[in-house]
Amino acid sequence: MSDNETDVVAPMVGKVVSILVKEGAEVEADETVITLEAMKIEMPVNAPVGGTVKEILVAEGDVVEADAVLVVIEEEEEE
Amino acid sequence: MSENMKKKLAAIEQLRWRLKQGGGEAATEKQHARGKLTARERIELLCDPGTFAEFDLFAKHMGKDYGLDKKQLPADGVITGFGEVNGRRVVVFSEDFTVVAGTFGEMHGRKICKAVVMARKMGLPLIGMNDSGGARATEEMGALSMYGKLFKSQARACGVVPQIALIMGPVAGGQAYSPSMMDFLFMVENTSHMFLAGPPLVKAVVFQDATADELGSARVHAEKTGMSDYNASDDRDCIEKVRKLLSYLPSSVMETPPFEIPEDDPDRADEELLGIIPDDRKKPYDMHEIIERIVDKGSFFELKPEFAKNLITGLARLDGIVVGIVANNPMHLAGSLTVNSSLKGEKFIRFCDSFNIPLINLQDVPGYLIGIKSERDGIIRHGSKQLRAYAEATVPMITIVLRKSYAGGYLGMCSKEIGADFLFALPTAEICLMGAPGAVNILFRKEIAASDDPVKTRNRRIQEFYDNYVDPTYAAGLQHVDDIIDPRQMRPVLIKSLEIAMNKVE
Repeated sequence: MSDNETDVVAPMVGKVVSILVKEGAEVEADETVITLEAMKIEMPVNAPVGGTVKEILVAEGDVVEADAVLVVIEEEEEE
Repeated sequence: MSENMKKKLAAIEQLRWRLKQGGGEAATEKQHARGKLTARERIELLCDPGTFAEFDLFAKHMGKDYGLDKKQLPADGVITGFGEVNGRRVVVFSEDFTVVAGTFGEMHGRKICKAVVMARKMGLPLIGMNDSGGARATEEMGALSMYGKLFKSQARACGVVPQIALIMGPVAGGQAYSPSMMDFLFMVENTSHMFLAGPPLVKAVVFQDATADELGSARVHAEKTGMSDYNASDDRDCIEKVRKLLSYLPSSVMETPPFEIPEDDPDRADEELLGIIPDDRKKPYDMHEIIERIVDKGSFFELKPEFAKNLITGLARLDGIVVGIVANNPMHLAGSLTVNSSLKGEKFIRFCDSFNIPLINLQDVPGYLIGIKSERDGIIRHGSKQLRAYAEATVPMITIVLRKSYAGGYLGMCSKEIGADFLFALPTAEICLMGAPGAVNILFRKEIAASDDPVKTRNRRIQEFYDNYVDPTYAAGLQHVDDIIDPRQMRPVLIKSLEIAMNKVE
C-alpha cells in the first residue's frame, strides 16, 4: 500500500447492506461509504480521510469480520 | 531581632530563593521551547493566586556514588504542597523537568508519597503533574522501592479522595503505574508520552523499531488504551480542564459533590427530543444530542470521548446536582456492550459510587457484542465488570430506556434488578430477553416451515412479538418499568426522581 492510501475498515463483524460509493468517486472525510448491519442496527462506516475511491473490496450481502478492509481511498497528492 | 536570628533567616531565605530557581534559566528556556511550562508555572495556573503553600522544598538526595555527592538537585526535582482551586483546598505535586529531567529518585518519591498520604488524611483531592524521564538510574533500589511505596500509598487513598493525574511530558517505566492508578488522567497533545519502555529499550529487547508516538502518544492513550480521560491542546488547556473537573468532585468520600445554583429550568421540556430517535429501529442516532438536551445547559463534561465510543461516560448537573451519565451510543458499534466499553463503564461507575455521585443511565443497547472475536476477547469476563459495578453501587441510580434494551444489555446497563431506583421507558422502548426475529425463529420454527408462505407467516409473527412482548407496556405490566414517559419530559422526570432518590439508604 502506498503512503497516500487509506483503508476503510469494518468497525465490527457484520453484513454489508449497502455500498454508497463507486470506484473512482470523490469522497469527503467522514462521508459514509458503506452501511453495515450487525447487532440490530445499520451502522454507517465513514471514510477516515477525503480522496478518491480506489477500490471496493466487498459486495452487498457479504459478511465481514472486524477490521476487514472494505474500501481503499487514495488521498490527493500534496501540491 | 537579634543579629544571629537575622543572619539565620537571611541564609534560609537565600537558600529558599536558590532552590526555587529549579534547574535555572537555561533549562527553563529549553522547557518553554518544547512548548511546556515549568513545574512552578503549572502550579501557579492550577491554584488560586497566592494560595500555594509548599512543603519539602529543602529535600535533598542521598546519592553518594557517580559524583552525585557534589551535585545539588533543587527540591529533588518535584514540587509538593497545598493549594486552593476555586477556594477549595487540594494537594499538589508537580515534577520539575528542569532538574535532571524530573527523574524519580528516592527523596523525589518520598515527597510524592508524603503528598498522597497528606491528601488521604486531610480528605483533599490529589493532583499530580508528571513530567519525568523515569527512574533516576543512579539511585537504584532507592528509586525502585519508593515506586512500590508510592503505589501502595495511592491504593490506600483510592476511593478516599479523588486522584487526578496530568501527563505533561514523558512518563516512562514503572512510574507510569502511578498515574494509571489514579481516578482521572489528562494528557497534553504532542508534548506528553507514556510508556513502559521507550524506543531504544524496545529495540534492544524485542527488536522492534518503534517511535515514541507509536508507543505512547496522547492520541494512543485517548483512542487505543483508553487511559486518557481528556487530551488537552497545551498545558494551559489541561490545567483549565482539571480546574473544571474539580468543580464536579467532592473533596473526599465524606462529602457530597459541590452543588451549584442552576441557571437552567428544572421543568424545561424539550420539543426536539421528539425527533432525535428515528422511527426505523435499525437507524442509529447520536446519543450526545439527547444528553445535551436533558442535563443543565452546558454542564456535560465527557470523559474518554475517543475511547469505546459505544458507551458515553461523563459528569453533568441536573438542577445543580452533580450526576454521572452512562449512556449507550447507537452511532458506534450499534451501542453494544464491548470489552472496552465495559472497562470504561466499570471504572466510571465505581468512581461515582465511591464519591456519592448519583448515576443516570441512558439505554439504547442491543446487548453484549457477540461473535468469535468478542467471545475470545473475553466479553463474558470483562463484560461482567460493568454489570458487577452497577450491582455493587449504592448511590441513587435512575435508568431511562430510550429504545433498545435487550438481553444482557438490559441488565448490564442497570435495570431495576441490578439496582436502578427508578426505571423509565420512552414509548419507543424495546425491552426483551431477545430480539423479535431471533425469538420468532425459535418459537415458531415448525409453524413457519409448514406455512404456505413462510416469509409472510414469519413477518406476521415478528410483528405480533413486537406488539406483545417487546413493547414497553409488557415490561411495565410486570413492574420492571416504573412509568412510560413522554420524551419531552425526560429532564423534569429525571430531576424529580433524583431528588426523591437522594435520600435513599441502601
